[in-house]
Amino acid sequence: MDPYFLIDTAQSLMSGMLYGSTYALIGLGFTLIFGVMHKIDLTYAATSIGGAYASILVLQSVSAPAIVVFLLAACAGGLIGLLVYFACFHFISSKHPLAMLMATLGMLLFIEEVIIQATDGVPISFPVLVEHSIMLGEFYIRGDLIAVFLVACVCMAGLLWLLHRTRLGLGTRAVAQQPTAAMLCGINLAVVNSQLFIITGLLGGVAGAMIGSAVGALSPLLTLPLTVKGLVVTVIGGLGSIPGAIIAGLFVGGLENVFQHLRGVSERDLYVMLLLFIFLVVRPNGLFGSVSARD
Amino acid sequence: MNFYFSLIQVIGIHTLLGLSSYWILLSGQVSLAQAAFFGIGAYLAGMLTTLWGWPLVPAILMAALVSGTVAFVVGFPALRVRGLILVVATLAFGEMVRVVLFNLNYRIVVDGVEVGPAGGQGFSHIRYFPINGWTVFDVMIFIWVVVAIVMAGLWWLDRCRIGAVLRAVGEDEVAAQATGINITAIKVLAMTVSGALAGLGGGVFAHYTTHIEHVQFGIVLAAFAISYPILGGLSSVFGTLLAVIFIQGFLIEGLRFIGDWRSLVFGLFIVLVMNLRPEGLLHPFSKRPVARSGKAGG
Repeated sequence: MDPYFLIDTAQSLMSGMLYGSTYALIGLGFTLIFGVMHKIDLTYAATSIGGAYASILVLQSVSAPAIVVFLLAACAGGLIGLLVYFACFHFISSKHPLAMLMATLGMLLFIEEVIIQATDGVPISFPVLVEHSIMLGEFYIRGDLIAVFLVACVCMAGLLWLLHRTRLGLGTRAVAQQPTAAMLCGINLAVVNSQLFIITGLLGGVAGAMIGSAVGALSPLLTLPLTVKGLVVTVIGGLGSIPGAIIAGLFVGGLENVFQHLRGVSERDLYVMLLLFIFLVVRPNGLFGSVSARD
Repeated sequence: MNFYFSLIQVIGIHTLLGLSSYWILLSGQVSLAQAAFFGIGAYLAGMLTTLWGWPLVPAILMAALVSGTVAFVVGFPALRVRGLILVVATLAFGEMVRVVLFNLNYRIVVDGVEVGPAGGQGFSHIRYFPINGWTVFDVMIFIWVVVAIVMAGLWWLDRCRIGAVLRAVGEDEVAAQATGINITAIKVLAMTVSGALAGLGGGVFAHYTTHIEHVQFGIVLAAFAISYPILGGLSSVFGTLLAVIFIQGFLIEGLRFIGDWRSLVFGLFIVLVMNLRPEGLLHPFSKRPVARSGKAGG
């Protein structure tokens, strides 16, 4: 076997896993919403990209450091998340899960169209966090991908802290476990759910900004593939499982880049989807999903 | 006048697509793969008539057969999971088919012209109707004969035992299984029939539009396909027809005067209807429940 081929493959696996941390964040949002509400919010990836877009559109006139762009993207993501909650979940009775799913699908198309209308469908360049790169022996590591990876780690740690060390997280976990019992304990479901959408929206905004800076530009074309990838990551990791989403995100990101290296960009997604189907046949509950988590 | 004929053709084709989603929704499955089956049917029927000179009717029947077979094969792994994971599985399958169509490159020379699917550039020159001298009116009649046959067939099946069984599975799987219904068989059957119907619609679509491309069969079309029966309501096939007429006739064509903003309306409309009439437009009005318990979450 050609040693350079092996090095190239290892290189693409590594870069892919670093980029996969964005998939992990998107998957995390999907899985959190599923874990607490037992619903799929199809708009989640659009919320992330929308948050990043809102921040870059606001800051287009004033030149701001990249960190401000990230923070603003997080805030915008949180706002859009709250909007999605009220548009698609709050007023629809939980007796109609199909209606909620359909509403999120409608909202996904709506957000995408708003982005296209606001930008005329032209991609907008996004500020890069770190411009340097590191050479590690034979391997070349893009500095911005490392930054993306680190930001993702910080976000995940923050999320785990929030869920396990705060009152808010306690309430959220209570609702996830048993909504009726949580309600009897005096937890307001609507408040917890809307907080959940704000938190996942904040997370999504950061993810959107990270994707923007890793790709170098934001484009409305990012939304739908990201939705599919995020959902694939969620299912492979196991619906409702937080470590599952993180590991599956890195796994899918890495494999995707290897497939791209081996078979070219136009066939890449085919193998990612095949991977999902293999999981559905062999392990329908995903890597970490429990049987009871299946809806 | 031809504009209206063409609009009526579009409504007919989308009704076929909507009915395919209707049939699988009756069994309680949400499939976002209908656009993929539609695409398979479109490419196959187009290739059969254009490359190998098949007549139209056998070509679209073959498209339905193949799409149905694909749906049958996909049905088994996909139906091991249910509910929301199935949504993801069918969405992923739809993307997979789209990527395959994007990479499909098979061109041969027929009558001195090179025809066939050309990868990302799509598949042009599906000129069965112009070559055989069909007018727009003829095509319209043909499409609506197909739609009428399919609608009558589904309406009849809905009233047979199979319709009741399908709705029973959709209503409550455990209860249906307890009465001795083989739910896997019923779900795979529903998936197969709906795949075949979507393939039939796709076969007609390819000949109507003469140029097909992979992007046409993406998630947006899947959203349209599933929105028709959900917006129209699952009480009968006419809900789907009504929703198609409303969306294609009014939202897409009727609102042309508001220009580009029109595309925003479709998504907003879905959100609005789902909030106000979560069981669809045609669903009979029910008495307002006294208390809505656990309206969020749960």
